[in-house]
Amino acid sequence: MPFPPSALSPDPMTTWQRIRRSWIWYALLLAPFCLFLLFVIWPTINAFRLSLYRMEGRNEVFVGLDHYVRLLNDSVFIDAIGNTVLLGVAFLVIVLPLSLVLASLMNGIRHFSTPFKVIYFLPQVTSAVAIALVFNYIFQPDWGLLNAILRNLGVADVPLWLAEPRHSLTGSRAAVTILAVWMGLGYFVIVILAGLQTVPRDLYDAAAVDGAGPVQSWRHITLPGLRPILIFLIVTGIIDAMARFSDLWMLGGPGGAPARSLQSIVMFMYQTAFESGNLNLASAVAVIFFMIVLLITAVNYGLFIRRETTTT
Amino acid sequence: MTMWRGTTLRRGRATETRSGPRWSTRRQVGAYVVLILGALVFIIPFVWMFTTSLSRRANQGLPRIPTFWPPDPSDFNYMVASANLPLVQFYANSLITVTAVTLGYLFFSSLAGYVFAKGRFPFRGPLFLLFLFTLFIPFPMQMIPLYLLVKDLGLSNSLAGLVVPFLVGGFGIFFMRQSMMSIPDDLVDAARLDGAGELRIYRSVMLPLCGPALATLAVISVLWRWNDVLWPILVNSERSLYTVTQGLAIAGRSQGIFTGVAMATAAMAILPVIVAYIIFQRWIIRGIATTGTRG
Repeated sequence: MPFPPSALSPDPMTTWQRIRRSWIWYALLLAPFCLFLLFVIWPTINAFRLSLYRMEGRNEVFVGLDHYVRLLNDSVFIDAIGNTVLLGVAFLVIVLPLSLVLASLMNGIRHFSTPFKVIYFLPQVTSAVAIALVFNYIFQPDWGLLNAILRNLGVADVPLWLAEPRHSLTGSRAAVTILAVWMGLGYFVIVILAGLQTVPRDLYDAAAVDGAGPVQSWRHITLPGLRPILIFLIVTGIIDAMARFSDLWMLGGPGGAPARSLQSIVMFMYQTAFESGNLNLASAVAVIFFMIVLLITAVNYGLFIRRETTTT
Repeated sequence: MTMWRGTTLRRGRATETRSGPRWSTRRQVGAYVVLILGALVFIIPFVWMFTTSLSRRANQGLPRIPTFWPPDPSDFNYMVASANLPLVQFYANSLITVTAVTLGYLFFSSLAGYVFAKGRFPFRGPLFLLFLFTLFIPFPMQMIPLYLLVKDLGLSNSLAGLVVPFLVGGFGIFFMRQSMMSIPDDLVDAARLDGAGELRIYRSVMLPLCGPALATLAVISVLWRWNDVLWPILVNSERSLYTVTQGLAIAGRSQGIFTGVAMATAAMAILPVIVAYIIFQRWIIRGIATTGTRG
């Protein structure tokens, strides 16, 4: 004899029933999800697929890993990777200590920290393209601002800056590193400052009572308090550096002139895709680029982040 | 450039209590001196750009002693630059596309954020993970297939091609979900008891309470789309559709020796942005400091 369903003995809902009952959530998610599938997920998958094919006329021909073999034997590509890493490391090695010091100073002053923040952050709101255009002329060896200042200071043999492709402290790589530090410093300062402001003053007062000097309290209170933020800045800073494009493209063109000294991975990808017209080979560059970023993130996770999430 | 990154560095409001060590007056003065010198390093290039843009002689390519005011001020360079480039058109293109992307991005991010923050339904976890995963994919990875897709959809060389691909992103959804999760469930349940539907709750309860988060997301979206050059140069080859940044990139690379004209072009692209920045600086800097994302 059939029992009517009662609240006391609820028959377990099947997944299908639960899906039908929550139709409103799926309906709300429908439009964003379709856009997401089409413009984010599909291109990501398609990059892998394209990298395994070659165009013959209008037909795609499967070539397996040929593009990867070709890239790894291409010294121009390997140099582009090396150059991107070199520029990224130089940038981070300079910008991190510098922003740490400036943020600490900004945190120490009593008034007017807002105008400083606004000024330091200014290059971040103007596009890298506009900044690079201005700096192209600031670095101009004959009539640029920088060499004019150096001449006024009595330097007779002024550097060539962007016109010097060799590895040199006054060459093109140094110039774009100065540019990157100038552009990025404000961002690093503001993020570090936000971290400094979460370190309570009580800790410093207690340290002062115990007789700690400013350097000691900086070493034992400020630095440990900033650890998560510094790790965040390093991880994202490396990824940004690997994806560097706009300013280098503006100053050196897609080839990274002079003598490919300013070429980056993304510029190589751009050149392969839109100047040589080989979208499939460029997709293989994209996949290698993605793998490098993934590898760096994984290494960072192993080195820093895991410790961060397990000890706290 | 980097919308895929997603970490909220600071949860909740900034503490109102003072932080940091107490410094003596002498140390304070020292700090001010260093900070002012640093500020000059950031201001001088902009000043140089502006003074050079006013000087006709700056186009001769001769060594000059930098001055704070050009000996021959005139609007000559601006006349040449604006005759070369339809900057008004570029500004209109930039404003239209950036506004459209930002409105759409805020709408879809908050809608999906609401679903993931307050909805209870099968496959919620896996679906959210799918969105979250894309935070780790840098844009250059998707760039070439996206270019092919936009071309196949017939959107290249149209302003829509600059808008449609960027309406939905993992970061915005993640960010809005985080801020909506801090809104108490009781509020949502009370609205449901009053007979409000989910769409109504989203519009009348959640959105008004998420004002600051939406403002932060808007700042990030505007900076990101306004300053992007890589995507516009891929899909847009028609001059009448250039954005400001794209026009500047293409024109700026061809000025050669004409420093004055180049600086006038740069100034016309930079100065309005600086004015907007000074007006909205509180929102912009807070947005960057709390999310760690710079558009």
